Amino acid sequence: MANKNIEQSGFTRRKMIAGSAAAVSTLALPAYLNKATAATAIKIGIPTVITGGYAVLGSHVMRTCKLVEKMRNASGGVLGRPIEFVFKDTMGKPADAVRKCQELVERDDCRIFTGVVVSSEARAIMPKLEEWKAFFISHGNGDGQLTAKHYVDNFFRANTSAPMGARALALYLKDGKEQDYFAIGSDYAWGHSSVKAFTSQITSAGKTMVGSVFAPVGTKDYSTYITKILQSKAQGCYVALQGDEGRAFYSQAQQYGLAERVQMVTEIVAQANIRALGKDSVGLLGSSRYPFTYENDANKKFVSAFQAEYKDEIPDWSDGEQYQALDILFKAMEKADSDEAKKIVAAMEGLEVNSVKGATLMRKCDHQGENQGFIVKVTEVPGQSEPVPKILKIYSRDKITPDCRATTYSS
Amino acid sequence: METLTFLIIQSLNALSQASLLFFIASGLTLIFGIMRIINFAHGALYMLGAYIGYTLAMSTGSFVFALVVAPILVALVGLAFESSLLRRLYKRQDGGAYLMITFGLAVILDEAIKLIWGADPKGVPTPDLLQGVIIILDFPFPKYRIFLILLGISAAASVWFFLEKTRLGLLIRAVSQNSEMVSALGTDVTFIRRLVFAIGCGLAAIGGVLATPMVTAFLGMASSVVIDAFVIVIIGGMGSFLGSIIGSVLVAFVQVFGAYYVPDLALAIMYMLMLAILVLRPGGLLGKEE
Repeated sequence: MANKNIEQSGFTRRKMIAGSAAAVSTLALPAYLNKATAATAIKIGIPTVITGGYAVLGSHVMRTCKLVEKMRNASGGVLGRPIEFVFKDTMGKPADAVRKCQELVERDDCRIFTGVVVSSEARAIMPKLEEWKAFFISHGNGDGQLTAKHYVDNFFRANTSAPMGARALALYLKDGKEQDYFAIGSDYAWGHSSVKAFTSQITSAGKTMVGSVFAPVGTKDYSTYITKILQSKAQGCYVALQGDEGRAFYSQAQQYGLAERVQMVTEIVAQANIRALGKDSVGLLGSSRYPFTYENDANKKFVSAFQAEYKDEIPDWSDGEQYQALDILFKAMEKADSDEAKKIVAAMEGLEVNSVKGATLMRKCDHQGENQGFIVKVTEVPGQSEPVPKILKIYSRDKITPDCRATTYSS
Repeated sequence: METLTFLIIQSLNALSQASLLFFIASGLTLIFGIMRIINFAHGALYMLGAYIGYTLAMSTGSFVFALVVAPILVALVGLAFESSLLRRLYKRQDGGAYLMITFGLAVILDEAIKLIWGADPKGVPTPDLLQGVIIILDFPFPKYRIFLILLGISAAASVWFFLEKTRLGLLIRAVSQNSEMVSALGTDVTFIRRLVFAIGCGLAAIGGVLATPMVTAFLGMASSVVIDAFVIVIIGGMGSFLGSIIGSVLVAFVQVFGAYYVPDLALAIMYMLMLAILVLRPGGLLGKEE
């Protein structure tokens, strides 16, 4: 009878089971979602150069990110969640970099960026960060103006900038016998920033700049530029060329015997260039953003993990800088207990981290990381398969970090 | 530095650059002239030559061995591509199909190189015999660049002699004029096309091997040089071998002197030259307007 009544009311057993299941699901959903959120990976966008002229630097970014992902996730991730890197190819072009970041935000719901290779790409991305509610930490963008004229709240630079590299070099060259310098730089934001900073620093040190020239990105033949350097009769030549351009310049300079006539110094000594140039690179003097030979516990841990993962490889400056940027990012996220841009910004301001390059302070006033300055010389070392940078001098971070929101030094 | 010394040194710089450009541009123009194919994979074949040359030079210690064997291997790659895929499209007479298939080859070669040799650049030291400089009017000039100039002149003269003075060269020129007539007269046109495609690929590979001690072998070297090669072919006239020589010299002089006098326009000046020539002679300097 009761069953009949139920059937007459249209409330069947099947409907009751389905309804119960729906009710249980509804009640259980928030708990399930909470659990899912806890396990959801923190996505970090890597809009980097996978193809194009700076692909080597992009490949370093990618290999270090993959290593960090493995290391971090094996030790519990960040904020109790695994991390996941989302790679996008910007081809080194600012417009593509902006488009790829937009994709990261809209399609991948990813609002933390790092691994951007070219300074002009960084410049293009930065004004959009506020709108995207995104956070960007530079691992290698050298243009001094990124933390000066182009400062934005949601951008931090963990790495040594072009003015900082130039400053360390100028301090070292101050007492050298070379008096007249010539500079060659890549014709984009970083090259100009680097040459400008070096010119300012070296002239302050009482030396003379007898000329400078900027080679367009993609230049293959440096004969004219080398002719100009030789014509200038300078005793020293500052080189702000990276990647394919840097290697082409050094290869051709070696053929002209430039190093025998002029002391070549550079803002960035890169292992990829050293490897490609072989013995021709020996004797090159320069500033290094990250020398893998630096001895501290954090760096020993990184180098050992890197060489276990990538057999026979030496971490390049871009590997070390990327590792440091991620280390600082994760420490800030843990301090903020959040992956939201605004909270990371607040946590990162004034954060001090003992990184692979020593103690690094993310200063509040312009979001520039205060790093030590390294002067290195490329040397052949027994036991190493290729020449390596030998540290000649280390300058304390207060000596090489510029004034706040500036690319200059008041002292 | 006196004006005379400057002019001599800069001219030598330009000639050495012209030699490198000649190897890639002449292959491109030969293939277009005979087969009417714009080979988009030409830059990738140049890059393949550089990487194979690197492996051979480093494993044998002989740059000369690499310079001889790498182009032969790349020519064989070209031959395999032509006989397996490209020839299937001849009946279509469709320029778009040629573009797509050669572009596909370029993509495949790019990825294959990345997989085989990795992303890091590969350097080949300047051969011992060609290291150092000679002093010209108190100014150092690399022996390697002198070698490039001499090799470029020899290669240009040899290919010209082959095309103009040998029976096979005559047949190649005849195929470029009227392949159906040559076929009707009993010549194996397929063989001629295959041979020209392989020679064109081999020339690009020579350029790749020669460039490695100057720029290293790296991913992306194809795109950086193939644009110059297309500009040269357009300036010289599509399909004109002599035009490719003149185009290479003109582009190299404009690049070298342009970088000195107007560095801000160093890259643009080459395109300005191309535009000026196209306005005056739409078919290029020695090409025919079609």
